[in-house]
Amino acid sequence: MKAFQFVRPRSSTEAAQGLADSADARVHSGGCDLLDRMKERIEEPAVLVSLCDAEGLGDVRIEEDGSIWIGARVTLAQLAESDVVRRFLPTLGEAAGLAASPQLRHRATIAGNLAQHTRCGYYRVKSFPCLKRGGDSCPVRADGGVQDTAGIFGNAACASAHPSSLAPVLGSLDAEIAIRDAKTLRFVAFADFWAAPAKGRASDTILKSGEVIEAVRLPARDAKQHVGFAEIRQKKAFDWALVSCAVRYETDAEGRVTQARAWLGSVAPAPYRATKAEAALVGKAVTDEVAVKVGDAALADATPLAGTTYKVQLAKVALKRALAAAREKA
Amino acid sequence: MPRTVTYKVGLVGHDKYKQGVEGIEQDLTVEIHELDAQPWGRDDVFRHVGHDVPRVDGPVKATGAAKYTYDINRPDLCVAGLVVSPHAHANIVSVDASAAKAMPGVLAVKTYEGRRVTYAGGIAAAVCAESESVLGDALNAIQVVYDVKPGPAVTDDAMKDGAPVVDPRRKTNVAGPRRGPLVRGKPDEAIAGADVVVEATYRTPVQTHSCLEPHGCMCEIHDDGTATVWASTQATAFFANRRLTQALGLPRNKVRVLTHHMGGGFGSKFSALEWDVICAEFARETKRPVRLMLSRRVEHLVGGNRPDSIQRMRLAGSKDGTFAALDGETWGTSGNGTGGAGSANFMVYELPNLSMVQNGVATFSGIGRAFRAPRHPQGFYALESVIDRYAYAAGVDALAVRMKNDRHPVRQVQWRIGAERIGWRKNRRQVPGSDKGPVKRGVGCASGRWGQGGRHMVGRSQLVFDVVVDKDGGIAFQNAVQDIGTGTRTLIAVIAAEELGLAPGDIDVRIGDTNFPPGPGSGGSTTAPSIGAAVRNGALRVKESLAGLLALEWGVDEGALRWKDGVCRGPDGKQATVREACALLGEDGLRVRGRRERNWRSPYRETAGCQFAQVAVDTETGFITVEKVVAVHDCGRVIDSLTARSQVNGGVIQGISYALYEEKHTDRNLGDMVNPTFDTYRILGMEDCPPIDVVLTSVVAGYSNTGMAGLGEPATVPTPGAIANAVYNAIGVQVTDLPMTPARVLEALERRQG
Repeated sequence: MKAFQFVRPRSSTEAAQGLADSADARVHSGGCDLLDRMKERIEEPAVLVSLCDAEGLGDVRIEEDGSIWIGARVTLAQLAESDVVRRFLPTLGEAAGLAASPQLRHRATIAGNLAQHTRCGYYRVKSFPCLKRGGDSCPVRADGGVQDTAGIFGNAACASAHPSSLAPVLGSLDAEIAIRDAKTLRFVAFADFWAAPAKGRASDTILKSGEVIEAVRLPARDAKQHVGFAEIRQKKAFDWALVSCAVRYETDAEGRVTQARAWLGSVAPAPYRATKAEAALVGKAVTDEVAVKVGDAALADATPLAGTTYKVQLAKVALKRALAAAREKA
Repeated sequence: MPRTVTYKVGLVGHDKYKQGVEGIEQDLTVEIHELDAQPWGRDDVFRHVGHDVPRVDGPVKATGAAKYTYDINRPDLCVAGLVVSPHAHANIVSVDASAAKAMPGVLAVKTYEGRRVTYAGGIAAAVCAESESVLGDALNAIQVVYDVKPGPAVTDDAMKDGAPVVDPRRKTNVAGPRRGPLVRGKPDEAIAGADVVVEATYRTPVQTHSCLEPHGCMCEIHDDGTATVWASTQATAFFANRRLTQALGLPRNKVRVLTHHMGGGFGSKFSALEWDVICAEFARETKRPVRLMLSRRVEHLVGGNRPDSIQRMRLAGSKDGTFAALDGETWGTSGNGTGGAGSANFMVYELPNLSMVQNGVATFSGIGRAFRAPRHPQGFYALESVIDRYAYAAGVDALAVRMKNDRHPVRQVQWRIGAERIGWRKNRRQVPGSDKGPVKRGVGCASGRWGQGGRHMVGRSQLVFDVVVDKDGGIAFQNAVQDIGTGTRTLIAVIAAEELGLAPGDIDVRIGDTNFPPGPGSGGSTTAPSIGAAVRNGALRVKESLAGLLALEWGVDEGALRWKDGVCRGPDGKQATVREACALLGEDGLRVRGRRERNWRSPYRETAGCQFAQVAVDTETGFITVEKVVAVHDCGRVIDSLTARSQVNGGVIQGISYALYEEKHTDRNLGDMVNPTFDTYRILGMEDCPPIDVVLTSVVAGYSNTGMAGLGEPATVPTPGAIANAVYNAIGVQVTDLPMTPARVLEALERRQG
């Protein structure tokens, strides 16, 4: 990789300032994805602004209003082991504990997991043309492209799939992303955090230069929540999800769903909110039959490529299993 | 003078299972060389041989003290790297390396303008630099202009009429069998008259070797006009080939090759290759030690691979399960090279009528190299799969069919052992796919074979071990042979210790250094059976020499002395251990040679193996869990049961990985590999590894004085077929493509419903 300057600010404000000061700086958290990209020379930043010494970014804490604050630098291993997460956000701990390998879970952070770039091989191997890296079109979509892990929604321009399996969980929990720039801290709803793929745009988030994720905030809940997570992949050990899914719903006294969230991972360039699944759930008691209908509704407008039709089936099953888990986990 | 010896060969133990199996125990009469040790017989009892002996180099590997080629550091070491073509077919029009050459720390640059590249990974330029960081910048700064041409990189495309050809001297990329189709009996007639005929086409992927340590070497030319090459090679004796020594500018006897430890080869590391020659050229040019090891991506592209295959198989037989004929045609690519695409899909079973046409297909992709049991895993996957299809169609038990058509006495025993341990009768679904619920279980089995009792020659010289004995009892066995990772050091120590009445840890094993007598290349699973007999003879020579000294010391005739368990006994209760006898040596010690004599004819011809697998298939997701594998293998005489089981574990793991995960994905338009990393080129991980029940059927094979045969390759041969048949048994439909990914399993299930 190209030589770079490594700076270690003491706070997120300083980090944001550092990012604003250099036109060619990147935030470094765990470095799991960023350093890979730099080794492949997909990116060659002059400065890495590391969060490794920034205070207050490494904790999980419960705020006075009951919301849960997860610092940007909290590792997946911490999430999987945290008492707070296990008690109040069990699906988040479950997803974190299944991700990657033990070594990576101890290095990878929640902020990096959300901001990581796609694992699409065409994006990662620099010699391939790739829309995200300025190419004219997406070679995955071409007849003869390798499509086995491609997205099945929102894939008209770019068939990449966002690899995070934590993202659908955070989406289902209505997380907010706390974003710091040199002057302010603002909160962005999870659904608004994502940017559609475009020519020359590698990042899938709305983060601008000079901005850094400070934390992920999960709102307090009074009502009883049903939450479920399911991940389908090819290997148990150290693999990316083929599809992941997280759901959350509340029910009325008769057990009918009053409010629902359903998110899918690895199916689109960004985490995918399955609004049609949510609509299909509201007003119904969650049964096996309903779960199948929810899956059919959610995938009705999928646009799989020839090599990715199987992911439609996987997504339906993931929804069904996440709902089954949610029925048990209240 | 040769002498004639009759001794007991065949299966050791397993009495319950070998009842009534003809030929499982035999008396073998052989004419043996006068200097060759008395062969170890079937009933001999051992202190170390055949027991669990931990690796003698386990501690240095576990602590990191063991140095691999990548670990070697030398004063003023510099590093080299490559710029490779991302295009499958192109002419290199120009290479602009001016920016790279101007960088401080860049020592030398090579460019290859005008070259025709016929695979992604073809070398366009190379750089030698002071450090990895300078090297990376310099490689990145080199601008290559390619004239890109169409070049099909996958088999299906290269087979098409009018496809661009890899070799311009040929009209087509498809090359039929050089010696014509393999034909035996009258297959057409037999098929026409058969009760049952089944047919299917099976496909297997291109699998890369994925050695943890990539290809490469480190070259250092010394002031005294000699050179040392630290190489990651499975053949120290053959690594310093003519191209390498020419690049170093030295005669071969000035070039010392060292491979003390290596991180995997699997058949891909027999000789110095193009990048090793570049490394040597840089060492000569810069007059500094240079290391060039491939990056993971380039390793995937050019390090070698197992050819893919398309295998059309038609099997015919009677209703009672007797095979009548097999007929088929195969296609496969070993990249831009030729050959290597055959399939061992007609072996093991009695097939009185056979027709098999095997075609190699040249593609614009990285060359195939020998890979753990070349031709076998893909061949046995197809053969064993079509047999299960036949068994269901004929309505006979798939295991009974195999036992009926298999004449190998050892495998007859192995089928019985494996069937019992997997619970065949209970766990084999009579109606495949009949389990209730979305997760369905099944069991399957498959055979394997191999045929190596080792060799007595290394190239054109006889294989010998030097044995160096010191007055204080130190005993060293020396040969250039490398340990590819299977435990070669340990088995040398075990055999020597057995013969000398010492502990394996007492033996100093010096290998992986061409200053010692040439050692065999680790190919064909021949290393252990080749060297074992030479080690025994070396130990025997030591005992003879020491007996001579003892006879002088005791004033008795040498013929009156007898060695047993490392103790030499003479008349009047006189006795001495090896160590005590060594004290009689002079300060200059003793140096003797153990020679490997020619193989005898083994009555078993080849080694046998079979495996059974139990799987659970989630029919909603296509996810396969391998729940258990029973692996029953013969490797001739077992020397160290611990390392032998470890080899079988490794073979099974690689076989599962091939069956379920591994696949080189190549873009058909652009010809480059899309998954050249270890998170996207999937390989089995610990959580995916089932319990592996290894049963070793130790067979005194009759090739040599140890009775050994090879094990490294045969252990991976049956696995893909056994798993595929278990999946078939579980879901009632055959997945005809490897790897059996969720996508392919779901597709097969849909086919059944539709």
